[in-house]
Amino acid sequence: MTEEQQNSSPQQEESHKPDSTMKHIVSFAAMIVLTVAAFYIVMEDVVEPNMILPLLLFFASIQVVLQLFTFMHLNQKGTAYYTIFIFTGVIIAVVSAVGIILM
Amino acid sequence: MASDAHTNTNHASNHLETATLEGKNKVLGFWLFLAAEVVLFACLFGTYLALKSQTMSGPTSMELFDLNLVIVATALLLTSSLTSVFAMSAMNQRKLKLMQFWLGVTVFLGLAFLILEIYEFVHYIHLGHTFMSSAFGSAFYALVGTHGAHVTFGIIWISSLMIQAQKRGINTDTAPKLFVSSLYWHFIDVVWVFIFSLVYLLGKVG
Amino acid sequence: MGTLTIMVVVALFLAAIVLGGYNKNFLERVKGSTVWDWMTTVDHKKIGIMYFMSGIVFFLIGGLEAILIRLQLMVPANDLFVGDIYNQILTMHGTTMIFLAAMPLLFGLMNVIVPLQIGARDVAFPFLNSLGFWFFTAGGIILNLSWFFGGAPDAGWTSYVSLALNEYSPGPGVDYYVLGLQISGIGSLISGINFLATIINMRTPGMTLLRMPLFTWTTFVASALLLFAMPALTVGLLLLMFDRLFGANFFDYTMGGSSVLWEHLFWIFGHPEVYIVILPAFGILSEIISTFSKKRLFGYTSMVFATVLIGFLGFMVWVHHMFTVGLGPVSNSIFAVATMAIGVPTGIKVFNWLFTMWGGEIRFTTAMLWAVGFIPTFVVGGMTGVMLAVPPADFQYHDSYFVVAHFHYVLVGGTVFGIFAAAFYWWPKMFGKMLHEGLGKFQFWTFFIGFHLTFFPQHFLGLFGMPRRVFTYQANVGLESINMLSTIGVIGMTLGTLAFGINIYRSLFIDKTKAPADPWNGRTLEWAISSPPPEYNFAQLPLVRGYDALWVEKEAGKKELTPAEPLGSIHMPSSSYLPLVMAIGVFISGMGFIARGDYSMGIFGLIILGIAMFMRSFEVDHGYHIEPEEIEKDKGVDA
Repeated sequence: MTEEQQNSSPQQEESHKPDSTMKHIVSFAAMIVLTVAAFYIVMEDVVEPNMILPLLLFFASIQVVLQLFTFMHLNQKGTAYYTIFIFTGVIIAVVSAVGIILM
Repeated sequence: MASDAHTNTNHASNHLETATLEGKNKVLGFWLFLAAEVVLFACLFGTYLALKSQTMSGPTSMELFDLNLVIVATALLLTSSLTSVFAMSAMNQRKLKLMQFWLGVTVFLGLAFLILEIYEFVHYIHLGHTFMSSAFGSAFYALVGTHGAHVTFGIIWISSLMIQAQKRGINTDTAPKLFVSSLYWHFIDVVWVFIFSLVYLLGKVG
Repeated sequence: MGTLTIMVVVALFLAAIVLGGYNKNFLERVKGSTVWDWMTTVDHKKIGIMYFMSGIVFFLIGGLEAILIRLQLMVPANDLFVGDIYNQILTMHGTTMIFLAAMPLLFGLMNVIVPLQIGARDVAFPFLNSLGFWFFTAGGIILNLSWFFGGAPDAGWTSYVSLALNEYSPGPGVDYYVLGLQISGIGSLISGINFLATIINMRTPGMTLLRMPLFTWTTFVASALLLFAMPALTVGLLLLMFDRLFGANFFDYTMGGSSVLWEHLFWIFGHPEVYIVILPAFGILSEIISTFSKKRLFGYTSMVFATVLIGFLGFMVWVHHMFTVGLGPVSNSIFAVATMAIGVPTGIKVFNWLFTMWGGEIRFTTAMLWAVGFIPTFVVGGMTGVMLAVPPADFQYHDSYFVVAHFHYVLVGGTVFGIFAAAFYWWPKMFGKMLHEGLGKFQFWTFFIGFHLTFFPQHFLGLFGMPRRVFTYQANVGLESINMLSTIGVIGMTLGTLAFGINIYRSLFIDKTKAPADPWNGRTLEWAISSPPPEYNFAQLPLVRGYDALWVEKEAGKKELTPAEPLGSIHMPSSSYLPLVMAIGVFISGMGFIARGDYSMGIFGLIILGIAMFMRSFEVDHGYHIEPEEIEKDKGVDA
């Protein structure tokens, strides 16, 4: 079985490369921008102190979405279960962490 | 073969890592594991944020953290995430040498990150910020240390998979392993995004 | 370092004896033996049986501890087990029953039955399945070794800090708790991932999500709960270990730590844990009531919906264990409302069971008796649960025997009754023999009456002011006769359990008659194959054409399932000794850390684990094949 699939796959993969590499580089650039923005608002005192936490969380969340959907391929087909479980995990994680911090 | 009945029904994606039922199971199982890790780190973050002001007259986060160091560490880890993606692209094109090159770069960047982190810890300990000095110290090292342990494990794992790939090539047996290890590496990066935001940057704000 | 050197020398010595020319036949003989076969198996049915059997052993140990507790409380001012030793028995009773009895018994059933119900040849990760079992076993053994080396944990099954910190629990007892549970918890997490992946990826053609039997559904949701709840326990135990062994200050108030933090972490895990052990019992009930009423389960879709909803809400209610901590009226109110909301899906389930029986052709087999006994008992437990969910009232009930009565009604009346029902229902599928119905009915009546006699009066003990976890009480405050009554009830449960033991012995060693493939006129796929099933389960994967897959075929007048594939060679995973080696590694490591002082043993164990992981990673395992001729031969034997 293994041999068959090895022989059949190479030509299937050709379509895979160029545009996806571009996409990866673009989202990497976006992550760098978000990271720099996060450091900038903390180091340079440009926003109200009570806005820093929401902004940091906002930047971090976008980075997570970028990682999940471009680098970790959740944008592809057949990943519904992964997405469901990861996001259920995120909901429970947020509830638990907020519970621990606030109470 | 037993698995063929399942395999043929879902051949929409042309990915080597999910070409067999075993591969599909492995990738699914690993995503489930990552979902559990999300909750694990959430509990550690909750613990840290709840205890971070309990410095017991030791140095506070404001006095301790050096953001320049954190910028370098972040750059290293973010870049390694990108090189890991490149390695996976190379894997799906069956370019073994290219894949090994990118994996090598990933491991190298990971090692550099780890050395930086160890240096940072040693530095803090000299300043009197230790695991035992206060609840803040315990929580800080538990959270950042657990992340560091994950990086260490990732480095060992990816290195050993590089040896396997060298010996056996890229096939439906090694591809899922490599893919899963790259998922793990991205996850480590995701956690780091929250560590630099909620531990270091927030620590500088107070 | 000294210990490490000795360990290495001993290991080399043993390796030389086993591998060297000492006796080559010895190795062959070991590999050919039944024990070796079971210890290295990756067959889900064998692993399930091992889970179930070890669950029974721990159930007996926990039951013995329960008897000792009731003996101490039989009369006022008793001095049978005073202070520390009572605390140890009490702690070990709770811990054993939850982690080492209820969970493995359910895991055993899930392991054997779920792959059969979804028409799979095996679970998604046979190797990990075995690893999960051996980790659980290692953890269970560590916990129980505490009795012999240094004293058992004595801080309650919730192990609240500051009581569980070094200052107040100086012995190694709590260390056994921390490391034993950590190891068996990792095993549970592995099993949870395995069940989830199995149910998602391994279903046979036609087995859509909304055609899955309810037991499979509840296993799915319970495994998801395991997946998300276990990490909180892992973190909690890790932090407690850091505090106790490495001088950290997470929970030490004088160093800025917080004892409420432990309560949060423990109950973020602990409440879903309660649903992990009750949801599969709901699934069992649904299967049994439907089969023995000879009716399709009433409101199947609403049952699935209720299961998922209970699972999700289970994560939003943990603070109801902490109403008296003083978190403030807002959080108490939010969590009180969420807790009461869980009553709704649970009510849906109870009514669906009643409506399934309504107008059905009911057969009161032993399994059905347990199921019918479950419903009122569990409803009582649920009702007291709603009472406890009201924060102002909870201040009165908290830490009294009322709480003890409540959770025994849900955990014994729910989980244990469910497990007994499942044991009688699926025993033929697991072992190929039947359990004796008469003995089973004797067991049901003695256990059922004994149970209510023990725990119903405890509601009143609580209302009259008797606190839980305290080893004695005064005379002449109105508690004597109720306590005596409660202890007398234990006789009934003991008799019932003994009858179950005799029944098992009889079925395995005395009774020679083989169980038929479908003794109960079943409705789901597991009854379509022989009892016990062949190692490949289904010679041809079945094509599922509706909910109650086998019943659909029976209705269509067919004797056999419609195959989804031609008869062909079947791929099987090969067995492996590595899970056992890994478990031995963590066992040594756990004991090494408990011994304190010198951590070389602990590190040595982790090194064994690491080496075994490398061996597994580099191993090329293609498994083996069973050819069609052999399958035909098996079929001939069965017919």
